[in-house]
Amino acid sequence: MKLSDSMAYASADEMIFGSAKKPVTTRRGLVIGGGLVIPEVVPHPRPGSEKDLRTLLREFERATGDILERCVSVGHPSVVVENEHVFQMTDDPSWGMEIAAQTTHQIDDYIEKYGIKAAYRSTVADIRKPDMVDLRNSDRTRKVLEAFDACAKYADIVSIESLGGKEVFDYSIIRNDITGLLFSQAVLGSRDMAWLWPQIVAIARKRGAVPGGDTDCAQANTAMFMAAGYISKDVPHTLAALCRAIAVGRSLVAYECGALGPGKDCGYENPIIKAVTGLPMSMEGKSCACAHSSLCGNVMAAVCDLWSNEAVEYHHMFGGSSPAVFAEILGYDTAAMNSAISLGYEKQYQACLVTSDRYRSLQGFILCPDNAWAIGKAVVDNNESYYSRARAAAITCAELMLADSQVRFTSFEKDALMGFAKELDSLPATEADFIDLCLKKYGKVKGFQPAAYGL
Amino acid sequence: MKDAMSPVPIFTRYDLTIDARRGEAARRISEDPLLQRVADCLVRGDEEGTATMVAEALRSRDPREVIDQSLIPGMKEVGRLWEIGEYFLPQVILSSDAMVAGITLCEERMGRAMEKKAKVVTHTAEGDIHDIGQAIVNALLRASGFDVVNLGADVPVDEVVEACRVHKPVMVTGTALMTTTMTAFPKIAARLKQAGLQIPFVCGGGAVSEDFVTGFELGVWGKEASQAPGMAEDALNGLGWSEMRAKWNG
Repeated sequence: MKLSDSMAYASADEMIFGSAKKPVTTRRGLVIGGGLVIPEVVPHPRPGSEKDLRTLLREFERATGDILERCVSVGHPSVVVENEHVFQMTDDPSWGMEIAAQTTHQIDDYIEKYGIKAAYRSTVADIRKPDMVDLRNSDRTRKVLEAFDACAKYADIVSIESLGGKEVFDYSIIRNDITGLLFSQAVLGSRDMAWLWPQIVAIARKRGAVPGGDTDCAQANTAMFMAAGYISKDVPHTLAALCRAIAVGRSLVAYECGALGPGKDCGYENPIIKAVTGLPMSMEGKSCACAHSSLCGNVMAAVCDLWSNEAVEYHHMFGGSSPAVFAEILGYDTAAMNSAISLGYEKQYQACLVTSDRYRSLQGFILCPDNAWAIGKAVVDNNESYYSRARAAAITCAELMLADSQVRFTSFEKDALMGFAKELDSLPATEADFIDLCLKKYGKVKGFQPAAYGL
Repeated sequence: MKDAMSPVPIFTRYDLTIDARRGEAARRISEDPLLQRVADCLVRGDEEGTATMVAEALRSRDPREVIDQSLIPGMKEVGRLWEIGEYFLPQVILSSDAMVAGITLCEERMGRAMEKKAKVVTHTAEGDIHDIGQAIVNALLRASGFDVVNLGADVPVDEVVEACRVHKPVMVTGTALMTTTMTAFPKIAARLKQAGLQIPFVCGGGAVSEDFVTGFELGVWGKEASQAPGMAEDALNGLGWSEMRAKWNG
């Protein structure tokens, strides 16, 4: 497989929300990245609704109906509805299929009745926990692929949040171990994706769905959530930022295997992925505070094509059900961005989004379009291996943070960053040597099976 | 357009305010220079150094002395530094690894396992594979001297109940990221009660809310993994689930 060797955008200045170099058109005719930002609404079922297929179908039927009804009620021109599978929907692929069939039937009814432009994304749950099953050969692996096949019959877009490398990542993140993080994300995660994604792309093509993309939610988001806000003491923000840069090398693999976007909303590495690939990306920020807090609520919209709420559990609110409320919120968020495009103020609007968060946190800083582009450039200029490009991304990320005089660190985070930078510099030059080093160092991590990664 | 960094208050970096108040050094653990060096390595989270220093100390010191006068007080000092905001979680985990390495050498010398305070059964809910929170709980409990019976992730209800029946822990914990998997917790609580096992059942993680956990008997909501050792101490000291709930929740 050829690793990316060039940037889709000549500079960060070219990047803007709503437009991608390579837009995607779904089977229901929705164009993503074609000049407008579109809301992507993600409802989540209430606890207990998973007890059987009937109750889960009813829960999703209610949520999807509420979303579509609200979009029409307030005049949102387009929407993507996403279902992130709960465990049961992938563990028994017929559940995922029934829900996909029901959801697309509801969407088709609204398209026919009102002319709304809409699409459905089905995100299969990666139930292959690396320390519990053989990633490449287990019942769970087969179920994941069966779920893709079952859902791609109906869905416009299929995606996954793959888990390769998670066992070594979890061990490493709570020990501030940058070498282990690089190994888990860049080497293990990429190798697993390179095995998994050609199969997903083949299934999607066969069924007429768009192979969307992957996200390093299991790893880079774990780091970001643990780093959390200003008063957390779990993980330094410097480390979470480096994990994000490393994630690029891994998440790119999906697109190198044929995924077309839109990338998954929780891939906070997506601004960098968009800079490299030119494919449309879903992103999330302030309007996903219902799912989790972040320090980059506005900047994530700077180059988004879909704008998402990540996940909102179904509940009744004063303004209606939570999926309806978030459909309205996201639709107005995107209406403001699309108004800026319409008025020719998009770069000014983007500047507001970026300035809001540029120095709020290191995660926000490295995901500003200029820094995102620079990290992407380091990735494509060092494409000898998964390892070399991810290491280069991390080194560039550290350099960017240290070079900007307006970036401020706590003393612990600065010390930690200097240590990480030194360690990254000292690592072997080649991937083969790095793998040798890591197999010795992490061979005893509970549940790590090198053979599951072809090692 | 005005300069992007004009003095309009867009956000406030409270972490920098907190940082300005930090800077407390680790306290001295022992008057014995050799045992102090063991403790220094442990407090720094230096696993290799701790093992080397423990091996050296064991040439002239009793293993019980090494445990009681350097390793345990060293770990307590790490806990204090974390409490006051000097240490981050990874520093605690690395010290915990160092502690386990040191204790293992002492146990080898003693020819038997060090007696633990009590057993705690930990698990991640059936259908849920997000167990990093449980891994943190396990490390913190071990570092505090508890014997952790780690059932892992995606554990069926029956298995949790059976482990409690066999091991008779002072406390059982459950972790879940997804709301659609945490529904296993009330089932476990009901089965434990049915079996006459009135063990405090501490549940936490991701979307697990206080309302949900305090909605069933035995349930105590764990907001943070860092609360686990304190809760286990309470359970060890005989607090029942309702007393623990009154103390930690609400």
